[in-house]
This record gives sequence, structure tokens and C-alpha cells, in this order.
Amino acid sequence: MTPAAAQLKGFRTGDLDLLAVLEAVLARAPKVLKSGLPNLAFVRAANAGLQQPDDESEGHGFPQVEFWLTLARELSLLEVEGDRLVVSAAADAFYGLETRRRRDRLREAWLDSRLLNEFALTPELELPGLKRAGTVDVATDVPGAEAMAAGRRAVLQFVSHLAGETPLRRLWSQMQAEAPGFVISHAEDASWRNVYYRGIRERSGRADVERSGNWQIVEGALIAFMCELPLARLGWVEFDRKRGVVEPLPETDEGGADFEIIVQPSGEILVLGDRLDAGALFRLARFALPSPEGRRRRYQLDKKYFTDALGRGCSASGLLDFLAGLSRSPLPQNVRFNLEDWSALSERIKIWPDALFIEREGVEDLAALLPAALREKLGTTVLSGGHLGCPMPGDAELRQMLPPRRKLLDYARRLPPVVAPLEGLGLSAPSEDLHLRARQVLALVATRQSADRWELDQALVTASAKAMGAEELARRLDEALSRPLSAPLTVALRSWTGEFPVPFVGQAELFLCDNPVQAELLEQQPRFRAWVERTLGRGAFLLRLGGAEAVRAMLKELGISPRTDPRKP
Amino acid sequence: MKFHGHVGVIETSDATTLDEALAVARCASRVLARPQPNLAILEADDARLVIAALEERGLHPKVIR
Repeated sequence: MTPAAAQLKGFRTGDLDLLAVLEAVLARAPKVLKSGLPNLAFVRAANAGLQQPDDESEGHGFPQVEFWLTLARELSLLEVEGDRLVVSAAADAFYGLETRRRRDRLREAWLDSRLLNEFALTPELELPGLKRAGTVDVATDVPGAEAMAAGRRAVLQFVSHLAGETPLRRLWSQMQAEAPGFVISHAEDASWRNVYYRGIRERSGRADVERSGNWQIVEGALIAFMCELPLARLGWVEFDRKRGVVEPLPETDEGGADFEIIVQPSGEILVLGDRLDAGALFRLARFALPSPEGRRRRYQLDKKYFTDALGRGCSASGLLDFLAGLSRSPLPQNVRFNLEDWSALSERIKIWPDALFIEREGVEDLAALLPAALREKLGTTVLSGGHLGCPMPGDAELRQMLPPRRKLLDYARRLPPVVAPLEGLGLSAPSEDLHLRARQVLALVATRQSADRWELDQALVTASAKAMGAEELARRLDEALSRPLSAPLTVALRSWTGEFPVPFVGQAELFLCDNPVQAELLEQQPRFRAWVERTLGRGAFLLRLGGAEAVRAMLKELGISPRTDPRKP
Repeated sequence: MKFHGHVGVIETSDATTLDEALAVARCASRVLARPQPNLAILEADDARLVIAALEERGLHPKVIR
């Protein structure tokens, strides 16, 4: 293999490995555990998609998947949405770059990585104090992020100056002689404090490795790991572990891709070819669900997944043209029809789940009021009625873009109460402060009298309370009011909603006695109880119709003449 | 002109489709505003409920994030 071809293979392999990890994220949207890492099932699936998967039975874990996940995080290609790991919009931009530029960005990300610690991934070594998040909590010689970044550059420098194919042992000897402390200081190895590589053991070893005579076991293993994974996969070197040789590769242009796809009538897409283009495949994976099966690349056209891609701003015709461009034979008619149909159906209902809604009030022309550059930057869509909408930009970014003297009503927070009760049934709500939540409440309970004045409407209140429940309506109204309703208005409103039962006003037959013992003794009499409709309180009884006469007769039999004036005891 | 941030916006081809979509998600009573018959503004969480309810029924709206 010529050096140029080897480099193509080297970086192309790395490019496809990263793609395999991202495709596994797209296909599974794995849950992120408390440690911040995705679950084991995902890691296994991602590992199976690599060009040379790690063997789980060897007990080294999955260093390649961890490596690519870390680089993807460094480049913000992944983000956590809720509790799921997902591919970010930055990944679309990343795969829009040409291969060489993509490689350069990955190289920079590796060289400067603060999240990666190759010691933790080196199969020959074990770090007993290492936590899952890559931190150590015991006295250790494992280098920190700064030292690792410097160490990577040192290894790269030595490797790039090698003259052709070089045995790894010679590289070790050269580095040990010229830069023994490229990651771990050996300046005080003679000291009693520096007898061991603290916190670093050989795999399955029982004690920390002694410093004396073991440089190649520790630093050597690290150099071998760097040559095998980052340096080889990012196209700097060709590394042959069996022969133990490393060869620097010259900077050359990447060759073109050579592959094709077959689109089945079932919507399954198969990829054929040796020289795959990760950029094109990532674009494919963004609208056709990847179904990784080891290294075989299969994708499935799926309605939801396809409409999600349309929601990200892709056009159906653009995606169809892209598919047709990758396929040597014409797309099956039913596939073309399905994609066009899904697109048309999805256009019937468009949803911005977290949007900036720019409301047009009155007859104003938003296109004239808002500069075209701002509208373009926000990516606004003209909605029915001339309103504008767009996905919600970052809060800080939006504050910078907002026109002067315009404030943002942020519905992710509690909005200020802007409705004030007036005399009688009136409510005041200045239109410039009126947000949608307050407007919703007003629409439920009041009718508009003028620009800023509303009036409570009994019929509306009753209907709204029936639809959503009196308590919910009262809660919403409380939230919208800048001060509490007056007592009479509260009585009225809560009576309209049905929360307060209809009161009684009129004549009734009552029995009142002021002594509680007397009341209790009478209550024990069946003749008395038969006439009691309801006990209103201690010693106060509402009697049935005709009850007053009957009770009076009963008392007369006991020689008691009841009084006729309820006010005087 | 008012700027309403972090709201859910639903626009449909016609008013009936919007009514149906809101009914499916049982969100009709929680609509903040309907500036147009085919345009509804909701709380962001309610808009997500509408998406989930529609997708559960095999309808896949265009979701712009």
C-alpha cells in the first residue's frame, strides 16, 4: 500500500467509525445514565458498527467507542435532550465540511481535548482510582488534562519526524532518551516518594507499577495506544500492531468516494462500495433511519423520521434528488410516491414546540418593521395572518437581536399579573402589557369593553367553569390578577362558577333554643326529630313545612310555651 | 408587535384540522390564543403533548425545532 492510500484508509476508517457511533445514537437515542455516559447496550451496538470492533471478552471495555464519543462531545456533535443523547445541529454542519476539513477539526479536537484521558483507555494499563467520569480521587501520577494535551503533541512531534517505517521499540527508546517526562515527570525518580507510578497498574496487576525499568510498560503502552487509535485513525500514521511498526504518512489530499445505494421498494436502503463518503452517509442517516447491523450499512425510510428531517428545514424534493443521485437505478415509484405523500401530509400540520412567536397587532406590517437581516438570522416563517414564527433562539442571542424598546414575554417563566379589578364588574388590562396567558383568562371570563377595559360576564364564567372546572378557572384568574378581587366580586364569581351553592333568602320555619343541653335533649325525641329538615348549628334547626305547629304542640304538652320573637332569648 | 418566547405554535392547513389536532391531544381548552382560525398558540409543554398524541395515532406533523 502506498503511503497516500494508507492515509486515505486510515482517516477514512476513523471517519466511518465516528459515523458508526453517531448512527448508533440516531438509531437508539440512548438514555444517559447518572455518570453522564450512555448505557451499555448502546455502547455494544456502536462498537459492532466499527471497522475493527473491540472484543468485549478481552475485558478492556470499549476504548474506541469512548474515544469517538469523547471527540463528538468535544466538537458538540452530540447533546443531551431530556435524558437522551441525541445528535446536534452542529453535526449537520460538521458533515457538510469536506473530508479534509473534517479530519482537521477532529485532529484539533483530539490534540486539545480536556475530556479525554488516554491512560484510562490503554488496554495494558489499569487505573484503580479512576472513576467512571474519568476523574481520580486518590494520590496518583495519572496526568491531568493539561499534561495529556502536551503529551499528545510531544508524541505527534516524535512520530512525524520518523524516517519511514520504524519499529515501535525504537520510537520508545528515542522518546525515553529525549523526552522521558512527556506526560509523567521523572525528574525525581531517585526520591523515596517516587518509587511507583502511583495509581497505575498493569492490567490485573496487584500493585502499582514500579518506576525503575518500567517506562516502556507505562509510557510505552500509552504511546502504542496513541499510535493505534488517534494517530492512525486520524490519518497521521499507519500502525501495524502485529509487526510493531509505525510509519508517518505525508499530508495528501483525500481521494474521492466510490459507492452507491440500492433503494428497495420496501424503503430499505443498502449501501454498496468500499470507498464510502461519511458526509453523504450522515446526510442519508438524518432522514432514513440507520439500522446498523455490524458494519453493513442499511437505512430504512420511515414516515416519522422523514418528517423530522423536513422539520429541520430539509425539502422533500431536495432529499429525493439526493437519494436519486446516490442510486444508479431510478428510485422505485412507490418510494418516490411515499416520500412526496409524507411531505404533503406533514405540511398539513406544522408545529413549533418551542417557538418565538412575533405577533402582528392591528394592521402593522412586520416585514416592514423588522429588518430583513434580523428575520433571516432568526429564520422566521410567515404564519397565517401575517404573524411570524421561528424556533426559539438562545435567550442571550435573542436579547442582542431584539429591536430597541421591545421586550420579550418569556413563557418559560411566570409572567407578571397584568389584570386589575375595578369597581363593579370591570377589569383593567393595559394592552401593551397583556400577555397571552392573561388574554386567555380574560377570554374565559370577560368581554372587552374598550382597548384596556374588560367586564366580567356571568354566562362566559359559567360556561368556562363547566368546561374546565371551577377550581382551575379560579386558579388561572388568581394568577392573572395584580390584586385580589373584592369580597362581593369574589362571591359573585364563585357563585357563577358553581363553587358556591345557590343561597336561600326567604321565610322559613325555624326552631331555636339557646341552651345546648336543652337542644340535645329535644334532639333525642323522635317526635321532634321527625320534623327537623336540617340542623343549622347547635340549637338551630330548620323544620319541615308545618313543623312549627307540630313542635309547638309537642312543647305545650310539656307545659312549655315557645317564644315567637327569634331575636330575644 | 409583541415577542412571545418559548411558546408552542401550531399552524394547520385549515381550521377543522386544527380543531381535530387539539381535540386528539385534549388541549383545546388550554389554547392560549387563536390569532387565526388555523393558528393556535399554546404553552410549549402542551404543544409537545399535541405532537405525541398525533404521532401515537400515526399522524406525523412537521415539527420545526
